[in-house]
Amino acid sequence: MSHGDSIPFHSSSQSDIDEIENLINSDALSATVPTARPPSPPRASFPSAALAPPYQKVPRSFSLPLPPPPVDPSAAGPRPGGGVAADGFGSPTDTLTEPVLDTVKRDLTRIVINLKLVVFPNPFREDPGKALRDWDLWGPFFFIIFLGLTLSWSASVKKSQVFAVAFAVLAAGAVILTMNVLLLGGRIIFFQSLSLLGYCLFPLDIGALICSLKINVVVKIIVVSITLAWSYWAAYPFMSAAVDPRRKALALYPVFLMYISVGFFIIAID
Amino acid sequence: MDRVQPSGENYANPRTCFFHVLFKAAALAFYVLSALFVSSFVIIFVVTVFLAALDFWVVKNVSGRILVGLRWWNEIDEQGESVWKFQCLDQESLARMNKKDSWLFWWTLYLTAVSWIFLGVFSLIRFQADYLLVVGVCLSLSIANIVGFTKCRKDAKKQIQQFATKTIASQFTSSLQSAFSVV
Repeated sequence: MSHGDSIPFHSSSQSDIDEIENLINSDALSATVPTARPPSPPRASFPSAALAPPYQKVPRSFSLPLPPPPVDPSAAGPRPGGGVAADGFGSPTDTLTEPVLDTVKRDLTRIVINLKLVVFPNPFREDPGKALRDWDLWGPFFFIIFLGLTLSWSASVKKSQVFAVAFAVLAAGAVILTMNVLLLGGRIIFFQSLSLLGYCLFPLDIGALICSLKINVVVKIIVVSITLAWSYWAAYPFMSAAVDPRRKALALYPVFLMYISVGFFIIAID
Repeated sequence: MDRVQPSGENYANPRTCFFHVLFKAAALAFYVLSALFVSSFVIIFVVTVFLAALDFWVVKNVSGRILVGLRWWNEIDEQGESVWKFQCLDQESLARMNKKDSWLFWWTLYLTAVSWIFLGVFSLIRFQADYLLVVGVCLSLSIANIVGFTKCRKDAKKQIQQFATKTIASQFTSSLQSAFSVV
């Protein structure tokens, strides 16, 4: 991403957390599995409340056990990767805006990338692990809220109930679908799956938006069917790859069911 | 021993502290006061949850780094396993962190969660499932940050201890070696 892989192992010229993190990674002392890409800077991953999911490995942790090196002016500038040199290493934090903007930009980029990976055709589709490795829950958050808002706006009565029901059904549905896959003995990471199911709502968002334009019911049905098929097509490879081939249908049917219910919801709202 | 900072009375990062508190307070205030002004539940929900999400992001990415020098995130490695990463500044920088900053950081974190629990109980008593949903989302965000940073802090202490032991051991070995090599 923003910082290179090849930071050499010397301790003299680093004043930024991320550089030192790379150092630790390249250090033989660290016990981590070396990753193919540089360790990412913090991501605004959404509720990470379940810090001990059943499959969690012992967290590999880093600290920075180096004495503060002499401040290197060339490395002390704000870096897009780590943002502010928010440490006691001597380089003062200038303004909050710069690093925040960088972090925001990075997160937004990640949302777009994830969206493209999940919803649109791309070479990584058959390898779900690779495709959504950088999961984040901001995209799904926006899409669920957007869908709820669109449905609520299209509804002529009981607007708040429509919104609350849509949000609760989608959120609970995503969690339940993930648990379903896990209980079927599938191998998928909880948050990755939540993230995936959230991103697959994007076509339905578009469908809901079009349907909110007060059009004919038949046209609505056609639009919703197309977007539904698109959503399902987006979710299919990831879910099916996660479980045993014999249990594929068991994992995929509930997903289909959920999307169809949302589709009906969209059509029925007037 | 004197602190490096001029006095313990001042915040070292007032702007960060301000933002740290701002979104939490805004979410809580909006939720509580909106019942008086706004009739639409949808607006209350969206604005409150949005402020809470913004606060989550700010705490995780900005104020955690600046006020207490901790950071945590999740990665998925090559094998497809989920790995929680924790990171902290080294011993000296941690010791130099402004006490008031970190006091504010931790206490507002806890206070927010407690307030949301309180509001949740309130809405439970009134049988308002809609508002319970809002409270639930905001509460889970607060708790996520609390758990993440607490784990990170514990991990940091452990790392520092390990490093200290390792340093002492290696220094001891090297001094032994140098002693014997001189001879």
